[in-house]
Amino acid sequence: MRTKDFAYWLFLAPVLIALTLVVVVPMLLGVYYSFTSWNGITTGGFVGFQNYIDLFKDERFLDSLWFTTKFSVVSVILINFIGLSLALIVTSRIKSSTLLRTTFFMPNLIGGLILGFIWQFIFVKVFASVGEMVGMESLQVWLATTETGFWGLVILMSWQMSGYIMVIYIAYLQGLPNELLEASEIDGASTFQRFRYIIFPLVAPAFTVSMFLTLSNTFKLYDQNLSLTGGGPYNSTEMVAMEIFNTAFVQNAFAYAQAKAIIFFVIVAIVALFQVYWNKRREVEM
Amino acid sequence: MAKLLMDQLTKTYDNKVTAVENFNLTVEDEEFIVFVGPSGCGKSTTLRMIAGLEDISAGTFSIDGKRMNDVEPKDRDIAMVFQNYALYPHMTVYENMAFSLKLKKMPKEEIKERVRNAAEILGLMEYLNRKPKALSGGQRQRVALGRAIVRDAKLFLMDEPLSNLDSKLRVQMRTEISKLHQRLKTTTIYVTHDQTEAMTMATRIVIMKDGVIQQVGTPKEVYDQPDNIFVAGFIGSPAMNFFKGRIEGDSFVMGQTKLLIPKSAMPEGRDGQEIVIGLRPEHITHKPHAQVDVLEVDLDVVELMGSEYMVYSKIEGHSFVGRVDANFELAAGTVFPMLFEMDKARFFDPETEVRIK
Repeated sequence: MRTKDFAYWLFLAPVLIALTLVVVVPMLLGVYYSFTSWNGITTGGFVGFQNYIDLFKDERFLDSLWFTTKFSVVSVILINFIGLSLALIVTSRIKSSTLLRTTFFMPNLIGGLILGFIWQFIFVKVFASVGEMVGMESLQVWLATTETGFWGLVILMSWQMSGYIMVIYIAYLQGLPNELLEASEIDGASTFQRFRYIIFPLVAPAFTVSMFLTLSNTFKLYDQNLSLTGGGPYNSTEMVAMEIFNTAFVQNAFAYAQAKAIIFFVIVAIVALFQVYWNKRREVEM
Repeated sequence: MAKLLMDQLTKTYDNKVTAVENFNLTVEDEEFIVFVGPSGCGKSTTLRMIAGLEDISAGTFSIDGKRMNDVEPKDRDIAMVFQNYALYPHMTVYENMAFSLKLKKMPKEEIKERVRNAAEILGLMEYLNRKPKALSGGQRQRVALGRAIVRDAKLFLMDEPLSNLDSKLRVQMRTEISKLHQRLKTTTIYVTHDQTEAMTMATRIVIMKDGVIQQVGTPKEVYDQPDNIFVAGFIGSPAMNFFKGRIEGDSFVMGQTKLLIPKSAMPEGRDGQEIVIGLRPEHITHKPHAQVDVLEVDLDVVELMGSEYMVYSKIEGHSFVGRVDANFELAAGTVFPMLFEMDKARFFDPETEVRIK
């Protein structure tokens, strides 16, 4: 082996080893275990596709998948809408834009678990008190129903992630050549037309990134789910990540949970790749 | 078609930095005005105030007698060509040109006709379906021009439109823009730092420095009758040569050198005073039978340009450039008699730098 090659592999080694130990090996082991009746200690026998057949008949799993999908779609739309709006606000010529940026980004600095408990307090205590004061019953039962649990999660997630997504949009908005905006202004575009025909198409790359981040983050949500609703009432707000966790560590069905995790991984991968492919086509090189 | 009036136009940033000061100019219909000056002289800022992209700090700008200070750019009926073309990268050439018309809700058929017309004039017919990225610099520049043409606007503004092109293409586009102006006759304001562009394209040139107009005039006027040393040095290439000395009797004296000034050219009442004279390179030359104002000079550098030489030399510590016909045999390091055509000299006050008339 030549020295150059040796140095090359030497420098690459830490990353390769880490990646192999932490990602590749567990992944492959996981695939293997999903075909067994592994209980966490002993591998048990080889059961073929039995776990996969079972999970497609498992209503709790399918329900959580459907709930997660709904949650993801609504959150992605809302987060991107709010994030882009905030970015447009703070990149316009207003005085307090630096302060606003910091404020909007702040929620993202608070950990998911704590955030869940904070919002739980707001939904359960504050909402209820306000509801009592103004006599609105709809404010008094938050998180106690599937509906309010769902929207509680959506609100929590939007509040947390919009500021983060805003930063991405800001970066792309500020990268737009000023001349283009001026040209459109002289071409006669109103503020809205400028956004619709020039800004929106040109920040397409930001959409690709933001959609990917929001999609994968909302799909894989666990800690906020745990602290805000804990999956309740009656597991109706249980998302896939939590459902898999419960299958493994509450029911001790490790191999079965592993099969669910693999299906989950495939779904997230397909959705994410598809959206990147679809969004990439909208992008133009400057 | 428009008549413009700029009255005491001033631009100050944050009440501190003054970019343009008391800019006064009247532009007649169909004129091709060129703003020229070094970087930071305020020429682009003035253009942007006219476009409405910069607020006017003080003074008035009007088109056809209508005050424009607070009118939005989109309502000023102007078209602008930017330095970096500013083509919309996600639109095809056709869409780029049609954009402003589409915003005006013009019927599709008419848009099509106008774009096709412009494309034909500019030789862009075969590129209509391409995106800007697939075009060369010259073609992009044409699209930017096309986008302005289809508007049929009152006024064209061009902000250094040729500065991103290579020199050959620049010369070619220069003539094309001139031709375009002759054809459309739209009032145009063109900003450049290149005095050659200014000289070749303008009906009138506005020369600016540090936010202040130095001179306004036709290319011939500013070349032959520069108002001050800055204009004299800025217009013309190679630049005018300046010599500092003193008027004594009928002569210009610097150190040991004496040059006779013809009576007709002699500035009045300057006898015994310090003065700066300016001579263009074509007026420091060689003529075989010349008697007066011939100096033997050391040729430091001799550049053969084909039909003539550029001769670089020094007298009394002043470097200068002269032009000599290529028929003569010249070589660097030799001594050669050069004629200083003092009847063509321009005289400047050394203090104020203003030309003495």
